[in-house]
Amino acid sequence: MANRLPWWMGGILMSGLLLLTFSIYGADRPIGASTYVPYAASLIFELDPEKYSYIDHIKNPGSWEGVMLLGVLFGGFITSVFITKSFRFSLIPTAWKTYKNNSVLSRLLWSFFAGFIMIIGARLAGGCTSGHFMSGMSQMAISSMIFGTVVMISLVVTGKYFYNTKGKK
Amino acid sequence: MADIIFVANESNTTMTDQVFKMVENVIHQPHGSVALIFLIGVIFGGIIQYTRVDKFEKIAGFAMLKDTIIPKMLFLTVGLTSIGLYFMIDAGQAHYHVKPIILQGLIIGGTLFGVSMAILGKCPGTGPVSIAEGRIDVLVGAIGGLLGGLVFTLYYDDFFKPLMGESMGKTILPDFFKGHEDMTALIFGVVVIIIAIVIPKVELFDEADLAQLPEDQRPDKQ
Repeated sequence: MANRLPWWMGGILMSGLLLLTFSIYGADRPIGASTYVPYAASLIFELDPEKYSYIDHIKNPGSWEGVMLLGVLFGGFITSVFITKSFRFSLIPTAWKTYKNNSVLSRLLWSFFAGFIMIIGARLAGGCTSGHFMSGMSQMAISSMIFGTVVMISLVVTGKYFYNTKGKK
Repeated sequence: MADIIFVANESNTTMTDQVFKMVENVIHQPHGSVALIFLIGVIFGGIIQYTRVDKFEKIAGFAMLKDTIIPKMLFLTVGLTSIGLYFMIDAGQAHYHVKPIILQGLIIGGTLFGVSMAILGKCPGTGPVSIAEGRIDVLVGAIGGLLGGLVFTLYYDDFFKPLMGESMGKTILPDFFKGHEDMTALIFGVVVIIIAIVIPKVELFDEADLAQLPEDQRPDKQ
C-alpha cells in the first residue's frame, strides 16, 4: 500500500466525500470546518447563549462540525500511525527552520497569533478553506470566489514578505 | 446565596457533559446521523493526512510558491464537485447552501485568513489533522483560535457584525447566464479542472517527515 496519495487521487476522493455530504442520502449540507471553533469556545468558557446572539446563530452548524472534528482527529491519527507512518511529536516545522528561524518560542508565539486572527478572519468572511473554497466554489457561489481570490493574494503576499526565501532552494 | 450555588454547579460541568450536549444538538438536526457525521470526519481527516496536504511545507510552501500541491488538489476537487453537484441539485438529490456576499466581511476576513494561513501553515480543516499527528505548535495555534472564537462571540453584535456589512445576496455564477445554466456549470467545472492540471507541479518535502519511511519507499526518491 502506497504511503502517500497523489494530489489527483486526493482531489477525486475529496470530491466524492463532498458530493456524499451534500446529497440528501448523506448529510444534505456542505462540509465546513471553522464554525466549530467559536462553538467550542462557547462550551469551554460557558458563555450564556441569551447574552451573546452569535451562539444561537452558530449552534447547529457548530455542533455538526464539532462531531465531524472528532472524526477528523480520529481519522488523522489512525492514518498517520498506520498508513503514512508520519506520527511524531514536534514543536517547529522543518521549513520554518529553513525560511524563518530556529526559535521554538518564535514559532509558538506566531502560531498562537496566527490561530487567533485565522478564526476571526474565517468568521468575518463566513467560512474557511472547507466552507468557502471547497464547498462554496463547488456551488459556483460568487461570495466564495471573492473569498478565494482575496485569500490567495493575501497568502502569497504574506509568504513573500514573512519568510526569507532569497537564495534558498 | 442562590447565585453562589449556581456558580458552584456550573463549574462542575465536565468535558463529557459538553460533548454530550453537542451530540444531542446534532441528533435534532436533519443533517445525517451522528455516526455518519463522524464517518465523514474520519474520511476527511484520512484524505488530508494521506495526501499530506496538512503539512506546513505544503501550505506555507504554497505561500512561498515553493509547492503547488494545495492549489492543484483544491481546484481539482472544486472542478469535479461543481459538475456533479450541479446535476445532483437539478435532479433534486441535493440543495444549495450558498453563503451570502457580505463584501467587507469577505475582504477583511479573507485578508486576515490568508495572512494567518501563510504564518501557521494550516487552516481550520487541516489544523486538527496536524494536531492528531503530533504537531504541538499547531495545538498552540488552536488555543489562539479558541480565544479568537471567544473574542468574536463576545463582540459580535457590537463590533464584528457592523464591520461585516450588509449581505448583497446569495448569487451564483449561473445567475448571470440565464437560459444557459447547464452550459455555465459544465464550462466552469471543466475550466477549473484544466487549471488544476496545468498548474506546474512543484513540491517542497519535509526531510523529518520522510526520514521515518524506508529508503525505497520515499515519495521524493521515486
